[in-house]
Amino acid sequence: MTVEVYTIVITGLGGQGLIRLLQILGQALVTQGYKVITSETHGLSQRGGKVKCFLRFGNKLNAPIPLIGTADMIIALEESSIIDVLNYAKPDKSTKFIISTYEKHNINVEYPSLDYLLNILYENSDNIYFIPAMEIAFKHTKSQKAMNIVILGYILKFLPLNQSIIEGSIKKNFSGEALEMNLNAFNEAFNL
Amino acid sequence: MSYDKIIEGKPGDIKFFLGNEAIVRGAIESGIDIYTYYPGTPSSEVGESFMDIYKEVRMKWVESSINEKVAIEVAGAAYARGATAMVGMKNVGLNVASDPLFALATTRPKNKNSALVILVADDPQQHSSAVEMDSRNYLKLFKIPALEPSNPQECLEFTKEAFKISRKLKLPVILRTVTMVSHARSNVIIGELKQSKIEEDFDLSKEVNVALRIYFLDMKENHIYNRMKHALEISENSTLNRVENEDAINEFKLGIITSGVSYSYVLEALDFLELNTPLLKIGMINPLPVKKITNFLKRCDQIFVVEENDAFLETQVLAIAQMNRLKVRIHGKDPFSYSKENSLLPFVGELNPTLVSLALIKITNLKPKVDLNQIIKRKYNIMERKPILCAGCPHRTTGYALQKAVKKIKLNSERNVYFYQDIGCYTLLAFPPFSFANVKYCMGSSIALAQGVAQTSESLNIAIIGDGTFFHSGIPALLNGIYNKTPILVLILDNGWIGMTGQQPHPGSDTRYYKEGNLKKAIDLEEFLRGTGVNVTVIKHNENKDEEYTSQLRNLIYEKGCDVLENKSLHVILIKDECIQKTVKRQPIIIRYVDPELCNNCGICYSQFLCPAIDERDNSAFIDSNSCLGCGICEEICPNNAINKEED
Repeated sequence: MTVEVYTIVITGLGGQGLIRLLQILGQALVTQGYKVITSETHGLSQRGGKVKCFLRFGNKLNAPIPLIGTADMIIALEESSIIDVLNYAKPDKSTKFIISTYEKHNINVEYPSLDYLLNILYENSDNIYFIPAMEIAFKHTKSQKAMNIVILGYILKFLPLNQSIIEGSIKKNFSGEALEMNLNAFNEAFNL
Repeated sequence: MSYDKIIEGKPGDIKFFLGNEAIVRGAIESGIDIYTYYPGTPSSEVGESFMDIYKEVRMKWVESSINEKVAIEVAGAAYARGATAMVGMKNVGLNVASDPLFALATTRPKNKNSALVILVADDPQQHSSAVEMDSRNYLKLFKIPALEPSNPQECLEFTKEAFKISRKLKLPVILRTVTMVSHARSNVIIGELKQSKIEEDFDLSKEVNVALRIYFLDMKENHIYNRMKHALEISENSTLNRVENEDAINEFKLGIITSGVSYSYVLEALDFLELNTPLLKIGMINPLPVKKITNFLKRCDQIFVVEENDAFLETQVLAIAQMNRLKVRIHGKDPFSYSKENSLLPFVGELNPTLVSLALIKITNLKPKVDLNQIIKRKYNIMERKPILCAGCPHRTTGYALQKAVKKIKLNSERNVYFYQDIGCYTLLAFPPFSFANVKYCMGSSIALAQGVAQTSESLNIAIIGDGTFFHSGIPALLNGIYNKTPILVLILDNGWIGMTGQQPHPGSDTRYYKEGNLKKAIDLEEFLRGTGVNVTVIKHNENKDEEYTSQLRNLIYEKGCDVLENKSLHVILIKDECIQKTVKRQPIIIRYVDPELCNNCGICYSQFLCPAIDERDNSAFIDSNSCLGCGICEEICPNNAINKEED
């Protein structure tokens, strides 16, 4: 399949495994034959703070950062985090929003109301998918850390990517019991 | 952690490498002998990767040095003696290394194999830095060649090219990256690994290696008029500097000059605007190819120079246009005006394709398919989240005890208390609820900053510094304070590692359980401090179980703080509490639970101690068992004994 360029924006909080998600997905796309570029944020900024990463793939190599208004997909591993990257959504509202319903509240900071959130989300996209990623992750792995793998399983249906290739990429990252649990979480999300 | 192993694979294989990993691959494809570094985001993964593989590829040596000055001196002398050497640091590290580098740049090794590449990773936008600094300005001072890759593939190729140029010219070569290149991950086609050609016999003649008046002026003549002249020839003839879209025609007669990651943003913006322009891509950013630039300027009516931060290229392009009396209009930052309005691109912060597109729209008046300004105008209520210390971080415990102690000192002495911060995770204590920060500059400065105010006021001045930073450059400032009998309180937060950049070792680190193993001799910081004759008190977490640790620490800070004020003495408190990210990898995590029956929701654990693993839920504190790393401090500070090791 030829893809000129496909841009994914991934947002969430430090410690949620965004970089792992980028690496697994990116490696699979490279194996599939695409040119891929991702940008990661390391260091102090990752600790509990907001993280914003990009993954872009296609037949030519692109810049590590996209233009605003041009993303094909926006993934939020934490619900409110998507607000920070709404300007990457296409004005024609075709950008897919994949949102984990997990909410991380901070003491002394007001969390956006659901009304406000839904309002601005539907202003920006006609393709919004809410995923109970925390619940699925917890069910299979007894930990919310696997939310990134759940999201990965869910988005696969939108991507030109062979399932066995992405499973191979996951296998490079886990072993033993953890691998089995993560694959179960991945498969449940894939079949949602 | 590398996902794709750096040393595996055959020439032509495609890897999925970070820019930093591609640099390592490029170096081992150049027969590197030695790599020295001081960790600093975004350069750290280079050193860590070398540490993983150096024995396997039979390099002579890899070290995480005490600071960048020492790192460049170790690598510099290895270069002088005929090694293929590399040294790595972040942009501000070059400030620390600049003193030896000035002499080193002019020396001229006599050994055939000598080559030295200096990796300098800038961090525009300060993703992980205390300041934003464009290291390219140093190139005019040092007068050495520099290459700037724009993506991971170029990281590999330019590293190899840098070694070749250095070996040929006998000049150190800077490899300059930025965060979006070092931390971009992409397809990288690898080449062949190469064995080192280092020889045991070598020449260390003083005429070419000793910075001393009778030798230096000769070396400097040769440096500028011979070696840099050769560098200029390379710059003019190399494909590192090349014109792309040579035949592109546009109605504006516009051409673009750019380098590094900005090059990829330019391509993106041109695509977006469906604009065709010739483009001069500068890969060798010092010395600039004057003839190539002149020829490029001659064919255009307008030029747009696209670069991040300072107008390093633009000021030189302006000079080249003037030298040739060219009427071409040069767009960019209008660097001599200090005017935000006149500047098409910012001096401050990272570039991106949107900013480059907006600037091109101003130059051309083109109407893009997506109205960018319309998108920018829309504002949303964004939730503020400051970066926070990890759950279980020892610095939070110190902050909590310090807060209590200082409150008491202020109450009893009626004096003001000021805090001097340094570079490390503990910098986050600058934010509420702690707010321990009055002055902070750079690595190792806290102890001297405290002295400046202590010598000129009656206040209590407290320096907060980590162990890694203390070793890096805090020691001279402490000795200065001891010698001058300056009344300050110094808190050394000894967590055993360079925590912020990924828990790398420093000379005080106990590396027994890690990849460095028994190869290092850890310096005993306590003995070191006692040797200086300073008043030092050591407190270790979990040593005295009879008394609660936070109260011990609070009382100690209170007592020594009062003594600094009353007796005008200098006190050091060495707080030994290991980084939780290290201990959880060696010890089982004992998670704590809240008993909702006993909890009266006073909020001390989640709103005063501010542990990110604790939240309020159903009118009670609640510990998230996935986030808790088992430090146990919440159990200690809970006034109702509602936090325990067992779940009910």
